Amino acid sequence: MLYGTADFPDWGDPSSPASTHLSDYYIEKTIEDTQVPNIVTSVLADYRGFDTMFETAVIFTAGLACFLLLRDFRGKKERFYRHKPTGVILHIKDGKKILAVGKEFEHMDKDWVPSDLIIKTVCRILIPFIQIYAMYVVAHGDFSPGGGFQGGVIFGSSLILLAISYDLKTLVKRIKEKVLGIFAALGVLIYVGIAAICMPMGGNFLDYSKLAPLVPGDPHHVRALGMLGVEIGVGFAVMAVMAIIYINIVSEGRHDEGL
Amino acid sequence: MDNYPVLIVVAPLLAALFAGLAVWIEERLSYPIALTGLAISVFSAFNVLMQVITSGPIQYRMAGWAPPMGIEYRIDLLNAMVLLMVSGIGLLNLVASYKSVKQETYDRAPSFYIVYLLFMTGLLGVTATGDLFNLYVLIEITSLTSYAMVAMGDRDRGPLASLNYVFIGVIGASFYLLGVGYLYMQTGSLNMADVAIILQSHQGSSIVLTAFILCIIGLWIKMAFFPMHVWLPNAYSYSPIAFARVVAPLMTKVMVYVMIRLMITVFGLDYIFKSPFFADAVVWLASVAIIFGAVMALAQKNLKKMLTYIIVCEIGYMVGGAWMGNQLGMTGAILHILNDALMTFAMFLAVGNIVYKLKDVELSNLTGLFGKMPWTMAGFVLAAFSIIGVPPTCGFFSKWYLILGAFEKGAYHFAAALVISSLICAVLFFRVFEICFFSPPSENSGHKESHSHVAMAEAPISMLIVSGFVSLSLIVVGLYSGTIVNTIIIPFLK
Repeated sequence: MLYGTADFPDWGDPSSPASTHLSDYYIEKTIEDTQVPNIVTSVLADYRGFDTMFETAVIFTAGLACFLLLRDFRGKKERFYRHKPTGVILHIKDGKKILAVGKEFEHMDKDWVPSDLIIKTVCRILIPFIQIYAMYVVAHGDFSPGGGFQGGVIFGSSLILLAISYDLKTLVKRIKEKVLGIFAALGVLIYVGIAAICMPMGGNFLDYSKLAPLVPGDPHHVRALGMLGVEIGVGFAVMAVMAIIYINIVSEGRHDEGL
Repeated sequence: MDNYPVLIVVAPLLAALFAGLAVWIEERLSYPIALTGLAISVFSAFNVLMQVITSGPIQYRMAGWAPPMGIEYRIDLLNAMVLLMVSGIGLLNLVASYKSVKQETYDRAPSFYIVYLLFMTGLLGVTATGDLFNLYVLIEITSLTSYAMVAMGDRDRGPLASLNYVFIGVIGASFYLLGVGYLYMQTGSLNMADVAIILQSHQGSSIVLTAFILCIIGLWIKMAFFPMHVWLPNAYSYSPIAFARVVAPLMTKVMVYVMIRLMITVFGLDYIFKSPFFADAVVWLASVAIIFGAVMALAQKNLKKMLTYIIVCEIGYMVGGAWMGNQLGMTGAILHILNDALMTFAMFLAVGNIVYKLKDVELSNLTGLFGKMPWTMAGFVLAAFSIIGVPPTCGFFSKWYLILGAFEKGAYHFAAALVISSLICAVLFFRVFEICFFSPPSENSGHKESHSHVAMAEAPISMLIVSGFVSLSLIVVGLYSGTIVNTIIIPFLK
């Protein structure tokens, strides 16, 4: 490998093949072709959108693999319940006996620790802003650094923050496993679907320009809109997969206790 | 329709996603969705192959961008053939898998199908693409799904085998990616055809040489070429049988295809065989791989493990043939991709049927199988004959080309290794036949009847039909191998 570096072009050399062969085309033609000011996005989601589609599929696969290997559907052997009015903790060793959880009793885990009021409050205030920021990053991918992957990660981290500051159950109660699973598949499906619709519209796979009859507005802007669509799909998928991986890893697939 | 090339790859992907949604609504839907996706894929692959044979290579531009800017699928005779083979085996195995998936991974069957479809997407994409980086992304999908599948297998040893596979697989993929990075440094392009044109003016560059070595080593790790094979036997024998049946014939063969694609299309045979030393060394290594694989197979006591070492041995055949540097060797290697995929598939189908009934395929456990499962064993015998290389079966013809290639080059050690390994395979399989046919069934095999009257206990009919079909196809492909060579391989190499 070191031998191979002998013929490398100089560091940052503007006349090296990597910066002359294709880059010129992308830099000169992006606006004209796609009306997207952010060249990185146009290369990622349009010129090489096919790669990005499979990268999203890779993320989906990762989430699926985590779910598949870690998720444990067996019920717990022992259960703990807390009697709310008195604070008495019941320890039930018979796995089959299940108390009705409602007004009087609530589930409790063995290593349950009451979370801190300050942390809870601060996170409760922060989380909505993080989520709005995440959506902003997704939507703004066309114009400035950002996009589906980054926005999805930020949104996913807000969910993880919820799980850390409260407890895992709060998160699982708010967003069901089913919802996350559907979001993960749906996100990738939005991407592949947008790409596939181009085929019956008379174009090649991923050819957003053929979608013009379906969307209102300037037909030249349709490529940018197509990219926005797939970025939203990527955002969904990444967000859901982040949460799936976190939930399954910290609770060893049981979805009840954990960090 | 012009969109067949991309449909081959996208149909399984779409099916995987729809199955991923359907799981949450009605679990049983995932299997028919998977079948539909792969059936569309096979249909498209068949159409593409016909189109390529009649009217030459197809170029398909993703998003309509012209090649060096965008990603293109370039399908010529070689990958059209491999595409049909991969999608066909994927579909047939899915048909045979319904029962065994239910048995092995009952609580995760729907997810199994999703991962399976993604795995097929990866393999098909690797085969169809004409773009170096796209190839890497799809290798990543294939590998990731394999890791998950292997870990789902044997409860105790599956996860460890998978972990080994992850470590080695990631190293292999990184080597390949690094090689692509070096190539990009020199050419500024990722499109295979474009890179090939630019490389013609950079023949002496040390970057290109390093890139070539890195890519090839990465692929060798991925295809388990000796001595980088250590992950394969455990990973394949501890994975669920429904997955082993498809990963064993396809994964390594697709990687061999990628190696041949890089050699012929990207770097060019003239460049590779300019200095004979490197090619000679590889052919020697291939000979060692063949002998090593065969001997290790002989040493195994478990049927699945034995077969995985035979894969290591077969990889030696193909790599050696491809590096022979003459047309006969390359023809043999390409023909062997098809033949070996078919015969390994037939073999694993038979083993799958046995596993379905016996759970455990230690050789000592196989006694009396000819009586219990006559149809399965008929398929097993045909597949074994093909691996040994008995004439009307297809295994003979590719070995014939490989030996001719070796003689033309004067690589007698390779020819000798090939013949010796075939003999070892014969010993190996006749030992299995002997156990299955002559050894009396052991007392604890569940049958109280006398030895002469063993009750038949065959695998489900869906598995038997697929097994029989594939085993018979070994003979059909063998008889038509002249046609395959003349219509597909020779025109491709010209």
